[in-house]
Amino acid sequence: MTEYAVRITRLSYSYPDGVRALEAVDLDVRVGERVAIVGPSGAGKSTLLLHLNGVLSGSGMVRIMGQALEGSDLREVRKHVGLVFQDPHDQLFCPTVFDDVAFGPLSLGVPQGEVSQRVDRALHEVGLDLSMRLRSSHHLSLGECKRVAIATVLAMEPEILALDEPSSNLDPRNRRHLIEVIGNLPVTLLLATHDLEMVLALCSRAVVMDRGRVWADGETRRLFSDRKLMEEHGLEVPLSLRTAVVG
Amino acid sequence: MKHNFIDRYADLDSPLHQLDARTKLVGFTALIISVLAIRPGSTFVFFAFFFLTAIFMGISQVPLGYILGRSLVLLPFVLLASLARPWRGGIDFAFLSALIMRSVLSLIILVLLTNTTRFAEMMRGLRKLGCPQILTLNLGFLYRYVFVLTEEVLRMRQARDCRSVGRAPAKVELKILGSMLGTLLVRSFERAERLYQAMLSRGYSGDFPVYGSRHFGWRDLVFIVALVPFVLIAFRA
Ligand SMILES: Nc1ncnc2c1ncn2[C@@H]1O[C@H](COP(=O)(O)OP(=O)(O)OP(=O)(O)O)[C@@H](O)[C@H]1O
Ligand SMILES: [Mg+2]
Repeated sequence: MTEYAVRITRLSYSYPDGVRALEAVDLDVRVGERVAIVGPSGAGKSTLLLHLNGVLSGSGMVRIMGQALEGSDLREVRKHVGLVFQDPHDQLFCPTVFDDVAFGPLSLGVPQGEVSQRVDRALHEVGLDLSMRLRSSHHLSLGECKRVAIATVLAMEPEILALDEPSSNLDPRNRRHLIEVIGNLPVTLLLATHDLEMVLALCSRAVVMDRGRVWADGETRRLFSDRKLMEEHGLEVPLSLRTAVVG
Repeated sequence: MKHNFIDRYADLDSPLHQLDARTKLVGFTALIISVLAIRPGSTFVFFAFFFLTAIFMGISQVPLGYILGRSLVLLPFVLLASLARPWRGGIDFAFLSALIMRSVLSLIILVLLTNTTRFAEMMRGLRKLGCPQILTLNLGFLYRYVFVLTEEVLRMRQARDCRSVGRAPAKVELKILGSMLGTLLVRSFERAERLYQAMLSRGYSGDFPVYGSRHFGWRDLVFIVALVPFVLIAFRA
């Protein structure tokens, strides 16, 4: 068993139009660790996550469960990583919710009987009613879409979960529920988000990104209480930590 | 914003909705072909078909106004198209009425088909009937994304309207329209790319997996058998 679920070394990436989105990023994540990636808009968080299953590939090295992300093994390595995109419309391409959630398990060769169970479980985990199964994705509200997108990945039961803004467009109750569910999953987690309270609830470690670089990497509470660091990178000390200091 | 102009009532649960998609595809297609085969002047046969569709409309639980509305909307186009026929000496009323009845019947049947079958199931049925995957796959994406694209257009229009005061001269309007179309094209292109990436990251390897659904049952048999006499009289008359 490898010790590191994700090892990223000196990863740089420019978009085709020349925007330099990642600059020599280093990030190691141990198996079972839950790491948050925070930073202002345009910091490169989404770009970094897209490297985790080879959707994008820059210069430098990305290893998943000890295997390099390249060439013929790509398909195998991808099975380990469940990636939820920032825009749920990019993730839901099937005619119905059921088809979408079942797509991953079916592609992985899971038998039909089990697929149906997995779909039900995943929908339940994101707090969606089973009557949703036959709805069309384009008839859903944005928050529902987002939850279905998360379910599509949960149904694949990946070892590494990479979530891009999972709590955006969720109402408070569903956000809470999602935090609980993710907290109980036995997975390695990478979470890119602006929702710092969610990070505090889920991740003991955080990484601050800005302009394509990693500026800080360490214990969440320590980083988030560092007012200078936070404000320098377009963030702010979360409310719960501020009152803690005052009280 | 929700758009469901093709299959608004496909989620109902009437006996017609419960049939296998293949049954309905084959059955309704057979009916349409039969309708086209009815000779002008055989009023009884037309009457029989209207009777049959009326029964279907009743069973389907789809609101009558909706079905008729959808079917009649296209009528002007049909009439216009009929002008293409060389009229030899005066108007041929038998022909004209047959034309109208045929088109109304066909449209009703089509509206019934699309509103008693979910699009996904229709695609699945087509595939099981031997339609190539590439075709059903593309139709599926079209159905899925035509709404997203329409919304994008509407949003772009709203954004433009919010920022412009009054009407610009036609030339400027045209220019704006052009750049909007360009943006839309680029956006669709990029979305297609991301979509493919999403499929890859969920293990897509060239074959779109299909989860088995409804099966051919006794209802399907009853439906098909009930249609046979109608097909027969259409071709005999
Ligand atoms: N498809 C693209 N083509 C060109 N440039 C892009 C593309 N996607 C992102 N960028 C640029 O790359 C940089 C990093 O973008 P990225 O989406 O990774 O930011 P982010 O940290 O996820 O921001 P947000 O918090 O707003 O989601 C930005 O400057 C952005 O403009
Ligand atoms: Mg992002």
